[in-house]
Amino acid sequence: MVRIEHQFVAMGGPCCIRLDSANAELAQVALQCAQREVQRLEQKFSRYLPDSITSTINRQAGTRQPVVIDPETKGLLQYADTLWHRSEGMFDLTSGILRKAWNFKSTRLPEQAELNKLLALVGWDKVIHDGESVYLPEPGMELDFGGYVKEYACDAAAGILKRHGISSALVDLGGDMATTGNQADGTPWVVGIRHPETPGQAIAQVSVGAGGLATSGDYERAMLIADKRYGHILNPKTGWPVEGLVAISLLAEQCLVAGSAATIAMLKPQAQALTWLKELGLPWLAVDQNGQCYGTIAQTQD
Amino acid sequence: MARCKPEQNQTLMALTSSALLLPAYQNAIADAPPDFTQLGIRYSQYEEDDISSSKAVGGSSERYKVDITQFHLLAPVSDNWSVALDVQYEDMSGASPWFVGESFEGDPKVIMSSASIEDSRTDVSVTTRYYYDRGNAGLNYTRSEEDDYESDAIGFDAAFNSADGLTTYSGAISASSDDIEPTQGSVPTNTLKDEKDIRSAWMGVTRIVSKRGIVRFGLGYTYRDGFLTDPYKLNDKRPDERKEWTASTGYRHFFVGQNAALHTDYRYFDDDWGINSHTIDVAWHQNLGQHSQLIPFLRYYTQDEADFFSNRVDFSAPYYADDYRLSAFGALSAGLRYNYSYSNWQVNLAGERYRSNNDWGIYGGEESPGLVDFWRFSIGLDYAFR
Repeated sequence: MVRIEHQFVAMGGPCCIRLDSANAELAQVALQCAQREVQRLEQKFSRYLPDSITSTINRQAGTRQPVVIDPETKGLLQYADTLWHRSEGMFDLTSGILRKAWNFKSTRLPEQAELNKLLALVGWDKVIHDGESVYLPEPGMELDFGGYVKEYACDAAAGILKRHGISSALVDLGGDMATTGNQADGTPWVVGIRHPETPGQAIAQVSVGAGGLATSGDYERAMLIADKRYGHILNPKTGWPVEGLVAISLLAEQCLVAGSAATIAMLKPQAQALTWLKELGLPWLAVDQNGQCYGTIAQTQD
Repeated sequence: MARCKPEQNQTLMALTSSALLLPAYQNAIADAPPDFTQLGIRYSQYEEDDISSSKAVGGSSERYKVDITQFHLLAPVSDNWSVALDVQYEDMSGASPWFVGESFEGDPKVIMSSASIEDSRTDVSVTTRYYYDRGNAGLNYTRSEEDDYESDAIGFDAAFNSADGLTTYSGAISASSDDIEPTQGSVPTNTLKDEKDIRSAWMGVTRIVSKRGIVRFGLGYTYRDGFLTDPYKLNDKRPDERKEWTASTGYRHFFVGQNAALHTDYRYFDDDWGINSHTIDVAWHQNLGQHSQLIPFLRYYTQDEADFFSNRVDFSAPYYADDYRLSAFGALSAGLRYNYSYSNWQVNLAGERYRSNNDWGIYGGEESPGLVDFWRFSIGLDYAFR
């Protein structure tokens, strides 16, 4: 058995795959295939790449020309529909455009008129999709799969490794993770959940058996104006930041489910989010604005 | 009244079932061609016990022995297609029951075919399979040749997965056309040249009922038409039509603590020759570490006799057979399989003992002196080009 660690950059961040294999050559082939899968998904769904399906859909907004979609895109749109319904309209694939009004590097709050103009372009319920094609009816409307495609890519890469017979692997795409099973010695992978305030330090150590771990956080981009914190998680109904938790980590069988459930909770006011997380029944850890921790995942002792 | 345990969170269930429709989670259903070319070779030996002197006229005699060599190749052709080639070569030798007569005491005894029969059989089968969004479909052609026998068969099968990915519906139809031209020499044969046709259909459903349980049901129908008599058995005369029905069910359960799975299967068979049968299979698939698996298995089989089965020939009856395979009996077989996989290689070993007895069956009927016991061993080697 050898332990192999493979690093690359994709989806806007550092990626790392660790695995145990009896055959290093086979493991290398599997790693290449897994990396290609992550890059394939990035190229297909990135809103920054002009040839992606996302850019094509966005370009054709308001042109009366629906974009024909493949089964994978159809699946991700159906998943978006489930997220929208289950979050009472808070997880909205069209809400990314609100970022145009917010510059978190400045200390300036957007004008309400500016927000209202953008809010007219937000609304998953306006999107026309029938399983064969998708169409954004308003010129300027945008879809953004960034809210969950990285988590999906984690699971997809783990699935590729599994198909190559790698039963001990951990895929880590910028902190979102999926495993194909325990380490070769039979023990689960143990990973650190990073501290919201001090990057590089772990707030908790957690065992990831077979499944995924995802973190949704609001600590990276936020601004402080008159002692009030404005995070980058925006309410698609008002255009203003949600006053909720600062970071949520979840364990689930799929990294995709862990990540999107964490994001739904991030979109709720703190008290509601904590109740919702308790009822969800998955292992979780949440951090509020004061650095206080909640949840069923034990915190690392200082 | 006791309440059910609280339901799993509705949101979690909705997210999970919606996620599982995405292609990345469809691997378990395997509706994609294999990623690699796979090559396998298997050698098996089937050997029947000698027939005892108390059952046969002319003393103890050796029975059938078959050496089987199988070759399997499965290759992906594109993202949606695969092609498979299977070749099987069988080398048969030994003696088989010719007819049942009477001893001085009036007991039925088998008269074996005197000279040792030597025959070989070659099967070549090509299957092409198309994989679509929610299932796959295959088309198969098989050609089989023996010294005295030729058969051409085509088959079509398809599987379709439900939207939630938990249920698979499958169906198959096949047709074959067989020509029989018995070898002349060792025993007189009861035909010189004849033919038969077989048509069959099958449908089944498999459902994942829990995280660790899978249940399946199947129904099958086979229609045989033509020369169904055994050409090498004296006095054998069977109807030229046979309709067969089968119903089967099975359950698999994975035990996490034991790292093992229990497979249980049951099959019911019924035909218009008066034969009913029941088969019960139980197998324990024990994983041993990451590379090997040990599978002990047990099978019980019992059948009723055909309406025209008898140990005493009646020339006035329209049909007659003294073939032990059409008599009432019960059979037990027990065996062990072992799989070991390491990197691109996989080794399979199997051994099985089969014994049959009129008393072990649940149906009454005359005991055939020709009932068989056998051993079977096989060794296989598979390689994946990845």
